[in-house]
Amino acid sequence: MIVVAASRIRTLVWVAVIFAVGFLCLQLVRPTLTNPPVTAELQAPPEVRQILRNSCYNCHSNETQLPWFDKVVPAYWLVTSDVKEARKHLNFSEIGKLPAAQQKAFLFEAVNMIQLGAMPLPSYLRVHPGAAVTPEQLAVLRNYLIAPADLDATAAAEAAIRAASASSAADAEYDKWVHTSNVAMDVKPEFNGVAYIPDYKNWKVISSTDRFDNHTMREILGNDVAVKAIAEGHINPWPDGTTFAKVTWAQTQPDVNGFVKTGAFVQVELMVKDATKYASTEGWGFGRWRGTELKPYGKDAGFQNECTSCHAPMAKNDYVYTMPIGGQQ
Amino acid sequence: MRVANVFLLGVVVAVGVVGCSDKTNPRVATKLNQDAMLVGDLPANPLQGRVITSWIDKRNATMSTMFGNDVAVQNARTKAVVPYPVGAVLSVVTWGQQEDARWFGGNIPKGVKAVEFVTVTAPGAYSYERFEGLPLKKVASGEGGDPADRAGYLMSVRAAVMP
Ligand code: HEC
Ligand code: HEC
Repeated sequence: MIVVAASRIRTLVWVAVIFAVGFLCLQLVRPTLTNPPVTAELQAPPEVRQILRNSCYNCHSNETQLPWFDKVVPAYWLVTSDVKEARKHLNFSEIGKLPAAQQKAFLFEAVNMIQLGAMPLPSYLRVHPGAAVTPEQLAVLRNYLIAPADLDATAAAEAAIRAASASSAADAEYDKWVHTSNVAMDVKPEFNGVAYIPDYKNWKVISSTDRFDNHTMREILGNDVAVKAIAEGHINPWPDGTTFAKVTWAQTQPDVNGFVKTGAFVQVELMVKDATKYASTEGWGFGRWRGTELKPYGKDAGFQNECTSCHAPMAKNDYVYTMPIGGQQ
Repeated sequence: MRVANVFLLGVVVAVGVVGCSDKTNPRVATKLNQDAMLVGDLPANPLQGRVITSWIDKRNATMSTMFGNDVAVQNARTKAVVPYPVGAVLSVVTWGQQEDARWFGGNIPKGVKAVEFVTVTAPGAYSYERFEGLPLKKVASGEGGDPADRAGYLMSVRAAVMP
């Protein structure tokens, strides 16, 4: 009896030792993670930067400072790959060189990723609870973005000139379109093969948005399959064949009545549902066509990663942002 | 002993990082925008028509979408007849605005403030109806041909470019 127990213990000890040695050896398999120089840090007030520094910089900057337990394999492998991926998407140490509006656009996206619970990555938060953004911190970020940009006299004059030339360009665009809208255009499919659907403009409106973050306005339209799904309350998942179009225009300067109208046409985007065909992009075929010449967006099929990353926080709503207006028939 | 501890920690961290346990964020939960529904006795449902254009009243925080029947939409997009041929029906829904819970930086429709209809009844003549309230009730109607009034204004609003 005693002999058996002793030999069992010995086996266990050996197993433990082998695991421990294996574990220590794995520690030597270390992908490199360096901190390149900070070339152009985000331009924002110190209180805004401080929040991002605390919650986001470990992944989204060139100032990564991992606590010791993140340096232990396998956690180290996961964190390293997250940091590399995160820097590719957004690097607060380098976006300071972008125009102010673009930096703000990143901050709007940042606030949204926080609000939707997508950032900091939930997996990271579980291990680093101190990185959570508190409601008070979130309010600081939101208030900074809501405050109107204070333009100096020169900047205001430049903005007025830009608005005037945008308005005459939009007039010319309208005149051309209204005389040619009956003529079918030859529009190329997207790089991922998703075809343009000219009939989108005859679909039903399911919502609209006033985007003050980038001074655009949008109409969101749905094809018959989408409208039927709304009427019947089957919108998660959306049935195959559902197609959404989102049309974006620049907002004009207010007219005599104080109304802001649709200015220059920016783009039309499509999301076509086919759970099998588009399985690799969350069941949706994405496409975006820019300008009145409807030029497919992107350089190659990689453009659709932009779409899926930003729609990812809506995964539990079948990747759809729009809340359709009720009462469809 | 230390080695074993570090080992355990590595495992715990790995499980923590890989594991999943998320509840659905309320902003993401599937729902319709019931606030913005058209409720009441309307001669027609504007949302059954096709879109012509939209606008935003920043001062009053409202957003409007103009729809049309086939005659109106066809004309708005080609401007064969100015302003609109007989049989054209324009309808305008004006909503209040609410922050898009799913996208800070965007406003979306809230409760309906007004629904308006303009019907071209004869060359140069039209009827105008306006509905307000919850449920929507007719608050104004009229006939006329004065392009300076509200109906005339609505007929002068140009279509949004939709290539
Ligand atoms: C553990 C590392 C990690 C932390 C911490 C982290 N992120 Fe991320 N973030 C990522 C990764 C990885 C991606 C790219 C893949 C993805 O979208 O999931 C990303 C992507 C993003 C994107 C871009 C999404 C897109 O459309 O490309 C934004 C914006 C973002 N994060 C904001 C934040 C903010 C704000 C914080 C802090 C509150 C934060 N992140 C903290 C890892 C992290
Ligand atoms: C920076 C974030 C972001 C990116 C990138 C993005 N979208 Fe969206 N998308 C949104 C938001 C937010 C909405 C909700 C409507 C609105 O506010 O414009 C939306 C809505 C849509 C809709 C209407 C259906 C829905 O989900 O609400 C379509 C279609 C769409 N996007 C297509 C695309 C395509 C195609 C791409 C890539 C070329 C893309 N989107 C990239 C944020 C994004």
